[in-house]
Amino acid sequence: MTTALRVRNLTKSYGGKRAVDGISFDVRAGELYALLGPNGAGKTTTLRMVAGLLSADAGEISVFDVDARKSPLEAKRLVAWLPDEPLLYDKLTAWEYLEFVAGLWGVPSANARSEAEHLLKLLGLWENRNDRCETFSRGMKQKAVLAGALLHDPKLMMLDEPLTGLDAAASRLVKDLIRERVVQGAGVILTTHILEVAERMADRIGIIKDGKLLIEGSLEELRTQAGAQGQSLEDVFLSLTTQPAAAP
Amino acid sequence: MSRPGSIRWLMAHELRLFWRRGKLSPKSGLIIVGLMLAGWLALSFFMFRGLAGVLPPPPFLDGPGDGLALTAIGVAIAFIGSVMTSGAILAAVDAIYTRNDLDLLLSSPIPPWRMLVVRSCAIAIGALPLYAGLLAPPLLWLAVFSSPLWLSGLVVLTSLAFAATGLALLVVTGLFRLIGPRRTRVLAQVISALAGAAVFLAFQLFNINTRGGDQVSQEEMMAVIGRLNFDPQVWWLLPSRAFTGDLASTLAWLVAVAILFPLGVYVFSRRFVADAAAASAMGQRKRVNDVRVAQVRGGLMQTILRKEMRLLIRDPLLLSQVGLQLIYFLPLVFVLFRPDRGLMLVEASFAPALTLLASALASSLVWITVSAEDAPDLISAAPVGPKAVDRAKLLAAVAPVLGLMALPVAILLWREPLAGAWTAAGVICSSFSAALIGLWRRVQGSRRDFVRRRAKGTLMAGLGQAFVALGITGAAGLGAFGWPWLAVIPAILAATVLGVLYKPTPGTTSAT
Repeated sequence: MTTALRVRNLTKSYGGKRAVDGISFDVRAGELYALLGPNGAGKTTTLRMVAGLLSADAGEISVFDVDARKSPLEAKRLVAWLPDEPLLYDKLTAWEYLEFVAGLWGVPSANARSEAEHLLKLLGLWENRNDRCETFSRGMKQKAVLAGALLHDPKLMMLDEPLTGLDAAASRLVKDLIRERVVQGAGVILTTHILEVAERMADRIGIIKDGKLLIEGSLEELRTQAGAQGQSLEDVFLSLTTQPAAAP
Repeated sequence: MSRPGSIRWLMAHELRLFWRRGKLSPKSGLIIVGLMLAGWLALSFFMFRGLAGVLPPPPFLDGPGDGLALTAIGVAIAFIGSVMTSGAILAAVDAIYTRNDLDLLLSSPIPPWRMLVVRSCAIAIGALPLYAGLLAPPLLWLAVFSSPLWLSGLVVLTSLAFAATGLALLVVTGLFRLIGPRRTRVLAQVISALAGAAVFLAFQLFNINTRGGDQVSQEEMMAVIGRLNFDPQVWWLLPSRAFTGDLASTLAWLVAVAILFPLGVYVFSRRFVADAAAASAMGQRKRVNDVRVAQVRGGLMQTILRKEMRLLIRDPLLLSQVGLQLIYFLPLVFVLFRPDRGLMLVEASFAPALTLLASALASSLVWITVSAEDAPDLISAAPVGPKAVDRAKLLAAVAPVLGLMALPVAILLWREPLAGAWTAAGVICSSFSAALIGLWRRVQGSRRDFVRRRAKGTLMAGLGQAFVALGITGAAGLGAFGWPWLAVIPAILAATVLGVLYKPTPGTTSAT
């Protein structure tokens, strides 16, 4: 199976503190990989390095065999990045925003138009396409950013807390969309604090803490490795990431 | 139409955002700006048609008054350049520290340098419209009626924006390297304010040093003017010579800008991604002593006061922005410490100055505590009356001002009780009135708006605060100078405006 993302010994420090400490993992094409960890574990930093938003101190990143550190622009063409905060241009309409994103990724005009229309309709934003983003709710902004992320038909999607702020229907819609992309052969890596989402959707799960990958594999493999047969992902996660209180 | 992703395409995007950031809708904004430009074009036609006949044609290189003309133009260029640099520093800081569209742009397959070139150009172009709008019509008419060399002024004006931007990019990058992300943000604000006020302050200093007393004789004035009639060929008048169409100077100026701007962009963009990442990681290691946060103390008033003070003190950027208002009062300090002034005049001068300063500070602080409340819903949902909250916020805005003013007022009271008493009264009245107006005429905003100098209240509140502050300042000044009966007039005017602006605090939402 093709490797969509290959990360080896990735390291990043902020002022002496190691945010990501020699992390290595693979995401295959047609696979949804959930990267889990407590707050401050280094999930977002890892994804931001893969997306080319942060430069790594050391390590390798390759996206569909393109070395993302040596050829960042080539890698970026294949990647979509959905940040945890849906940051939009308040003064642009949803349509103008997508038009801009299409331009950035060089999506041919005709394709961009039909794809933007398709995505806006699918995400229930078609009626609001000519409204400025400043009038949008958190959920609508999240959908608009997601539409932007999907517009150039990315081969690798990195979604940082993609379901935050979405109502139940929108959340289902987004999950379906992600699954559809996975079926079509895209690699998807997502971070989430909703462990049920990872449990139901992810083909493989990686758990990181203090910038290090503690464990990875399918849910069954995680249970086996953690010695937690029959337990939920939440139990596995907590048993791995919660330190016992130090004795007085 | 430009190719998506190209420099022209990105520039069109930046300019569209720049245009839409204005308060007016794009269409009506275009009409209003067009009408204003047309009006100024027509007015300047009549003004400069006549003036063109009086003014000698440029360049001003060897005439008897050419040095003076070039100096005057140089001062104008320095003023415009310093204001442009000030704005460009803020814009460069904004580019590094504000995440906004950075993720989107940097995750796209467009080279970061291209986006930064465009953004830098957009900063420069964004600095132009006001000055271009003001100066282009006069320069055009002077070109028509006097000499086409005046068009060189437009070239210099445009390139000045790029020079200011190049300089600002170098300053911000240099600060980042030298003192790190957190301090850069604060210091850049200070440098920006100093740059913006530089010519004003220099003028005041010059004015104070030049004039021996209050009355300046004609001979003294002529002597001062004579001293300003510099040799037109001195190196620092190069921009002025370029502005007035001296070809060699224009070329030299353009070469200098052609070096400075690309250098600034290159240095800025080379480290931009790393700097933006460092800035985004800035807030990660903030800790507060556990002992101090362990207890919850006091009633509502204390709770709100404590919260507002903590937020203010922990945000050096905000604090510096508030404190920068003090810069504009520096000339007063120059005046006060002049040895040839009478003591009484010196003491009395404090009254209007401190009164005005107190008003300015209080209106800023009330904007921060009331309008820029980060969690208005939390406050609204709390089981406390809105009036009690408002009282606490009012006090939170006024207390630091009174604390700051306490020392100078105490010294004044000791040295000159009358001036001190009027100053104390002025400071108290102006700070409370400014805070009350801010409270009554509140609009929701954010602390970041304040930091970016985009904090906007209602027009009525702004004008009201200005009128009331001037009224109280006038009253305090007149009283301190020994005309208490005259002081009644501005005091009554201020009280009337304050009464007109009164608006009761909205009641608590009733629970059902």
